[in-house]
Amino acid sequence: MFSVEPHVADVRLRVNAQTREELFTEAMRGLYSVLHVAPGTGARPISRHVVVDSVDLTALMVDFLNEILSRVHIGQEVFAQAKFATLTDTEVACELTGIAPAELEADVKAVTYHEADVHQEADGSWTTMLVLDI
Amino acid sequence: MEKRHLEKIHDNLWEVPKSYRGDMHVPARVYTNERMLEAILRDRSLDQLINVATLPGIRKHAIAMPDVHEGYGFPIGGVAAIDPRDGVISPGGIGYDINCGVRLLRSTKSFADVEPVLRPLAKALARGVPSGVGRGGPVQLKAKDLELILRDGAARAVAMGYGSQEDLNRIESGGRLGGADPERVSHAARERGRDQLGTIGSGNHFVEIDRVDTIYDEEEAKRFGLVLDGIVVQIHTGSRGLGHQVATDSIKTMMKAMARHGISVPDPQLACAPFRSAEGEGYFAAMSAAANFAFANRQLITAAIRRVWTLDDDELEIIYDVAHNVAKLERHPDVGEVIVHRKGATRAFPGQPVLIPGSMGTASYLLVGHETAMHESFGSSCHGAGRVMSRTKARHEIRHDDLRTRLEKLGIVAEAGSVKGLVEEAPEAYKDIDAVIDVVANAGIAKKVARFRPIAVVKG
Repeated sequence: MFSVEPHVADVRLRVNAQTREELFTEAMRGLYSVLHVAPGTGARPISRHVVVDSVDLTALMVDFLNEILSRVHIGQEVFAQAKFATLTDTEVACELTGIAPAELEADVKAVTYHEADVHQEADGSWTTMLVLDI
Repeated sequence: MEKRHLEKIHDNLWEVPKSYRGDMHVPARVYTNERMLEAILRDRSLDQLINVATLPGIRKHAIAMPDVHEGYGFPIGGVAAIDPRDGVISPGGIGYDINCGVRLLRSTKSFADVEPVLRPLAKALARGVPSGVGRGGPVQLKAKDLELILRDGAARAVAMGYGSQEDLNRIESGGRLGGADPERVSHAARERGRDQLGTIGSGNHFVEIDRVDTIYDEEEAKRFGLVLDGIVVQIHTGSRGLGHQVATDSIKTMMKAMARHGISVPDPQLACAPFRSAEGEGYFAAMSAAANFAFANRQLITAAIRRVWTLDDDELEIIYDVAHNVAKLERHPDVGEVIVHRKGATRAFPGQPVLIPGSMGTASYLLVGHETAMHESFGSSCHGAGRVMSRTKARHEIRHDDLRTRLEKLGIVAEAGSVKGLVEEAPEAYKDIDAVIDVVANAGIAKKVARFRPIAVVKG
C-alpha cells in the first residue's frame, strides 16, 4: 500500500507492506502512480532482469527505484510484476515483467535518499517514506 | 528550529550560531526579514541548512536566501562554499536539475506593438518550443554531436547554427564550463537526454513574455537596453533528463565512497566525497558537462523563439543567462579558492545581471550584483520567489477555470500543456516575490534594476 503525502516542493510517498519484497513492489507502483503511466501506442509485453547493489537496505530501495525510473525515461518501460531472486540488505536481483512503450503524464527527476528509512514495524510489517524530486 | 535559536545580525540577516549543534563547523545564516522568518520556520529548511553547516571543509557560513524552502538534503535557496583542499563536493548541493537557470531576451518592440498579436504569438511559442513530459526536441543528436555539446555547451550550439558569437558573450561563463569531461557522463544519462536538447520540460519551467513595468535604476537599465513598457522574454529550464541522471549516478557513487573516505553526514542526501578524490573530480567533470548541456538547451530554445517571433524588424538579443543550480570553483575575499555550491541561488558578482523569475502571475526582476555579495554571500543572491504551497495542495485548492479567469483579468495569456501543470504553478503557491527582492536589495547583495510583469506564459 502507498499513499502520497504533501511536501512543499516535491512529493512525499509513504509505503507499507507485509514483506520486503512487497515493499519494493509497492514502492515501484507508487512511483508509477506519481508519473501517471499508461500504455503507449503499440505497447508490447517485456521482461527484464535487474540487479542493483547498495550500501544498505534503504539505499537499495532508492537505487532500485532510480533504476526503474531510468528505464521508464529511456525505454518507456513500465513493470507491473517483480519476481525476486535475491533481496538482501545490500543487493536485489529480480525479473521484472511489464510493457513498453508507456506514456507519462508527469515527470519525476529522481527518487531521493532524504527521509528514506526502510524498517520493520513492531507488528512485523515493512515501511518507508520516500521523497521524489519533481 | 525556533526563532529563539536565531540571532539578528541586521534587519535582513539572521544567524544560527555554531553552538546550536555540536556537529556544525560554521554558523548558518539566512537572509530574511522578521516577518518572512516566521514563514521560513514553518518548514524544515533551516534544519536542512544546519545539516549543510556540518559538511567537511565548509567555510564562513552556510547561507540561505530569502526564497529558501524545504528541499531534500540542501534547502532550496542554499549556498555553501567549501575548501577544495580539504573539503568535499556534494551533488545534493547542486540538485538533480543541474544548471537549471534563466535566460532573458530583449525585444526592440514595445508593449503597444506586441499586445495586438499576443495570442497568436503565445500559440506560436507553444508550438515552436517543445514543452511537457515526453516531448522530444528539434534535433536528434548523434553520439559525436552530444559529446561536443557536453564539452563546449552553448558554443557548440552556436557552431551548429543556433545563434551567434555575440550570444555567448552574454551567458554566465560564456555558456561553457571548462572542467567538463563527457567521458564522465554515463550511457544512461546520455540516453535520457538524447532527444531533449531544445526542450523546456515540465514542472516550474516555462517561456514567458513580459512587459517592463518598473525601472528602478535608469543607468543600469540603459546598459541593458531596457525601457518602460518594453518587452522581454524569459526562458527557465535546465539540463533535463541528462542532468537528472548525472546527479542520480553521482549520489549513488558517493553513498558507497563515503565510508572509505571516513565521511558521515546527517542526511544521506548530502552524500559527498572529497573534492580532490576520484569520486569528487568525476562528479565535478560530469556536472560541468551536464551544465554545458543546459547552456546549449537554452541556446536552442532561444533559436526556436527567434524563429517564431515574427514581429517586423525585431531582434531578440540576449541580456544575460544565469545558472541557479551549479557548483563552481571561485575565489572569494577572506577564503581564497572555494567550491561554491548554489542550489536555488544565483551568482551575483558585482555588476553582473541577476535574473529572478517570479511565478506565472507575479513580477520578475532584473538585479545587478553588488560588492557586498562578495564579502557576505560568496557572490550569491536568491533565485525566485520560493514555494510555500505543496503541489498536492495546489491541485486540491486551486480551480483551473478560476485560475485562468484570474490570469485573463491580469492580462496574461496562458498556454499550458496540462491542467495539472498550470494549477501547480499558480501564483499563490509561491512567496511574495516583491518581499523576497526587497530583502536582497536591502541587505545590499544586489540592487534592483527593473521589474517585469508577465503577459504570456508557455508551460508544459
